Amino acid sequence: MSTALATRIAEEYAAAAAELPARVVSAARRELAVQALCTHGLPGMRDENWKYANLRALERVRFAPPGAAAPANRLSTAALPVAIAGYDRQTFVDGVFAPELSGAVRHKTQDGAAARECGHPGDARFALLNDAFAADAAQIRTVHEERPRCIEVLFVAHSEATRAASYPRLDVKVSAGTRLNLIERHVSIGSDANFVNTAIEIDIAKGASVTHFRVQQMGARATWIDTLTATVGSDASYQQHLVQLGALAARSTCHVRLAGAGAATRLHALAAAAGQQTHDAYVLIEHACAHTRSEQIFRGIAAGRARVAFNGKVNVCAGAPGTDSRQSLRGLLAGPEAEIDLRPQLQIHTDDVRCSHGATAGKLDESVLFYLLSRGLDPDTAQQLLKWAFLADVVAKIDIPDLKSSIERALAGRIEVAEDLKELL
Amino acid sequence: MSALLTIDNLKVAVGDKPVLNGVSLEVGLGEVHAIMGPNGSGKSTLAHVLAGRPGYTLSSGSVTFEGRDLLSLAPEERARAGVFLGFQYPVEIPGVNNVYLLKAAFNALRKHRGLPEVDAFEFLGLVRAKMKFMRMDESFLGRAVNEGFSGGEKKRNEILQMLILEPKLAILDETDSGLDIDALKIVAQGVNSLRGAERSILLVTHYQRMLDYIVPDFVHVLVNGRIAKSGDRTLALELERRGYEWVSDEAA
Repeated sequence: MSTALATRIAEEYAAAAAELPARVVSAARRELAVQALCTHGLPGMRDENWKYANLRALERVRFAPPGAAAPANRLSTAALPVAIAGYDRQTFVDGVFAPELSGAVRHKTQDGAAARECGHPGDARFALLNDAFAADAAQIRTVHEERPRCIEVLFVAHSEATRAASYPRLDVKVSAGTRLNLIERHVSIGSDANFVNTAIEIDIAKGASVTHFRVQQMGARATWIDTLTATVGSDASYQQHLVQLGALAARSTCHVRLAGAGAATRLHALAAAAGQQTHDAYVLIEHACAHTRSEQIFRGIAAGRARVAFNGKVNVCAGAPGTDSRQSLRGLLAGPEAEIDLRPQLQIHTDDVRCSHGATAGKLDESVLFYLLSRGLDPDTAQQLLKWAFLADVVAKIDIPDLKSSIERALAGRIEVAEDLKELL
Repeated sequence: MSALLTIDNLKVAVGDKPVLNGVSLEVGLGEVHAIMGPNGSGKSTLAHVLAGRPGYTLSSGSVTFEGRDLLSLAPEERARAGVFLGFQYPVEIPGVNNVYLLKAAFNALRKHRGLPEVDAFEFLGLVRAKMKFMRMDESFLGRAVNEGFSGGEKKRNEILQMLILEPKLAILDETDSGLDIDALKIVAQGVNSLRGAERSILLVTHYQRMLDYIVPDFVHVLVNGRIAKSGDRTLALELERRGYEWVSDEAA
């Protein structure tokens, strides 16, 4: 990171500090975060794990959030994505809770998160930037109930990057034996040149389970950066469905630590990029305890001049015998100038593990296309059908019908496929 | 009998390598022709060129189907005109449902003929009846195209598609390969059920075994990309007895 950028972050923080609420992040922690950023810098293209990300927006973004001086938002519920039946919605506009757009009453928040380790392999530097500037946070806690808690957190970006960035923040603690179904969506309304830097921490206690649906549908000129850390306790499970559709530049950094015996995680991710879009993801799964399981499935389509990158790393620690880890990464090049970068990585420090991984990237198979044509399908239909089929195993796992069909509609527009063709799957 | 298909002096290369060196063949409506020949003689190439597979260079000759220039048509246009290729190696298409694909193909054909599309319920009834005829389990309804099918199941699935699409010209490329005798009988029964005055069948095969069950009207032997000898079904029996070498020698 250039010194100029570090200086600018420090200056903007100093100017905004008085307005940033301590109940979200304490002043002491904010200052530590700014200091750490000045020392370590933000990631850049030269960092090994960041070389495919598009971070150009950083040069012109205004880091401080809009604050009280910003004009009051005039959004109506009608402008938001249709709510999902059975899910309580909390809406945040430019990172700040909007009660008039939310269905549920929210609990008071307080800074309860532990201080971040810096220079950690999970790479939390953008989360430090969130620590410094976050204006609000969604906090989710679970209690023992017969049915799982169902919550949707909707982050709406409204202001432009040149005016202000926004810092969605989500702090989730799931107590022992409880269940949570969480939908997290990111959209742009109004301007589409937003700069959004999300930080999420999820702590799942013994025997608890979380199913987390994440949909990124930002506007066409937006930059979306995301840092997620999940800690999964013994016999607990964390399942994440990540759908990347929007933004000009999107980067997700996800670190899942399987911290207790029998902990399990599943990550089903899909990215559909077109035009000049970049969708980049870095996933680190750490098997820190015995008999832990992980599964990663990634399907990415790049059309036009888009770039889709997925770097999935599995680290099996010395104290994690009986680990079972699977990884399947696939990329589909749907344009002559498109780019796919898949990188499966496996580090094993113990015996007695079962790890499998596979990564393939390529164009649609000519012999499969010919088979469909020889049955009378026109070339356009045949290609679209194969794109749907390529994404099918990941889309099928989104088991909330309303959410699934909204994703399918968005996908149809993104990769130029007719929606009714999915009936052939 | 009027010719459904006329191949005239067809020369085809793959890259720089000539594969078909002047094939001429006339297939009348209602006829069953068997194309036999040793490995590498160009049998499969001929089948694929007729169906419109890309990757071949046509240097000379013509193919006329129902009076139209077949080679000028795109693969999907040939399919809609009534040409069907039963693949030697049917491809697996994970994620695409076998029956839904078949319905899409069926309706593409009907649309081309100006007929109304059939709905899912009506189509399912048709598929069930044909599957029963091909002794295919109902579980095939819910499966992806050829995914995880055994060799024999894939071939049966090809014939099932043919029975539903009812082509005018069925080209079956080594449909007998990899089939045990019971599966071969079922496949043959499927093919025979389609025999009739309104369609023609081109059987491409290495062995005469299948011809015991689907008796051809004519047998042609392809050697080095040319039809070296033609005859009736007794020629196939002679090939079984004597092998292919004598035909090559004779042709030379």
